[in-house]
Amino acid sequence: MASNATHYNNLKPAQPLDKKTLNKMVWRSLNLQASFNYERMQAAGWLYCILPGLEKIHGDNKEDLAISMGHNLEFFNTHPFLVTFVMGIVLSLEQQKTDISTIRSVRVAAMGPLGGIGDAIFWFTLVPITAGITANMAIDGSIAGPIIFLLIFNGVQFAIRFFLMGWSYKLGAKAIEIMTENAREFTRAASLLGVFVVGALTANMGNITVALEVANGESPIVIQSILDGILPKMIPLALTLLLYFLMKKKNWKPVMCIGLLLVIGIIGGLIGLF
Amino acid sequence: MQFNAIQIILVAVWAFIVGIDQFDFLESLYQPIVTGAVIGAILGDLQTGLVVGGTYQLMTIGNMPVGGAQPPNAVIGGVMSAVFGIASGLDTGAAVALAIPFALIGQYMITLVFTVMSPLMSSADKLAEKGDTKGIVRLNYFAMAMLGALFAVVCVGGLLGGSALGTSLQEFSDKYKWFMNGLDAAGKMMRFVGFATLLRIMLSNDLWGFYLSGFALAVVIGSIEGTAGATLLLVAFVGFAIAFYDFQTRVAMRKNAGSGNGGGDEDGI
Repeated sequence: MASNATHYNNLKPAQPLDKKTLNKMVWRSLNLQASFNYERMQAAGWLYCILPGLEKIHGDNKEDLAISMGHNLEFFNTHPFLVTFVMGIVLSLEQQKTDISTIRSVRVAAMGPLGGIGDAIFWFTLVPITAGITANMAIDGSIAGPIIFLLIFNGVQFAIRFFLMGWSYKLGAKAIEIMTENAREFTRAASLLGVFVVGALTANMGNITVALEVANGESPIVIQSILDGILPKMIPLALTLLLYFLMKKKNWKPVMCIGLLLVIGIIGGLIGLF
Repeated sequence: MQFNAIQIILVAVWAFIVGIDQFDFLESLYQPIVTGAVIGAILGDLQTGLVVGGTYQLMTIGNMPVGGAQPPNAVIGGVMSAVFGIASGLDTGAAVALAIPFALIGQYMITLVFTVMSPLMSSADKLAEKGDTKGIVRLNYFAMAMLGALFAVVCVGGLLGGSALGTSLQEFSDKYKWFMNGLDAAGKMMRFVGFATLLRIMLSNDLWGFYLSGFALAVVIGSIEGTAGATLLLVAFVGFAIAFYDFQTRVAMRKNAGSGNGGGDEDGI
């Protein structure tokens, strides 16, 4: 983020990543959420996961490696079990030394929709069914319950992780063929989609509400419902735009923005705003 | 019931592992059905561990960490309900109920860790600037260890202090609920810093409309019960259509402009 480079210095495509490196990154992908936090969510974990690939790709140019690490530390959040799909595509773009705004846009556009799909596969289907059956086995006193649960859950998890990595890495390589011919148009279209998805994330992941009520006899006035009447998700949108303004025009650092939000949160907690 | 030193250490080790596992590793060891059996085996009563774990598992099925929301923490809940079930010989329902205060504490701890980790991201930025790959790896392992250690401490505390500790912890947290509420709200807002950072880089002036229309579409789809779960996927479909159309149009425009320069009138006729 510190660097505002738009291209890598060395534009010569790197050697395609070998199977061993890809597999190593699949194993690392288990720890995607290692340093999860509220500001950038999985960002540092994401960087940790793809580092073996980035080191191979940008191994000949220390500065490119730093640039790549910098932009891969931006906000990232996707479904932990499906992350290898995003990894494959982003790594194939990195390997081709695609320009950075394209990589960023593709990353954002790919990470967003996977959350809902992953929740549907794992938390709404796989876990309730397997855990439901095996929990009853455990309640009957059978040690097979937990063992079968672990085997099924992890069998599905690892099959998906390895498959998605290989598949999307190839997919990315194919997309690049079409892309390089029309690079400028592609970058614009990717940015457009990326910005569109960030707009959707603002509404979809922004679930902050105020609990303020104004006493009014029998029917207190609920501030949140007034806000919703004007524009649903108004607070997430307003806060995002405020922070954008502070960072873009006032050169605030993210850490200062976090400080501001902590102050708002704790004062708000004290006066019963939330 | 007294526990020997080895049992206490093993419970701490398991709590450390599953504290991390709830977000990393296999993301399945922490499930109460597994944890109940393991704690049961450690404390010498596998049968009770299985039954309590299975019961707690059924309770949490409707309570998954979907979309980043933190339900009462199933990790500590699973460990502590097995401990109470075995140590105090309570029936399953009572053991699970006694574990709930600990589960709430676990939820608070996660909020705290996720908040504390946010400012650490600027150290990560500095490491990236230097191309320090080892530093990034260390930062991630440090965060994992911190989470695991916190969970180990609370579980060992629960093991030694028993349910009395749970009650006093809950009283303490009720008293300072406003602080946790505020921290929770700050935590929920911090993601907007992440969004704003992305926008700062991605948003050129002519893309504002697309940002707002993505927002609008997600608000609409997200407020319909039948489609809310698939909001981002549905939004991505529409976004893809717009982006692809934009791509094709611009490519066609450039190619036409190119042939136009050639001077032929044939194209138009």
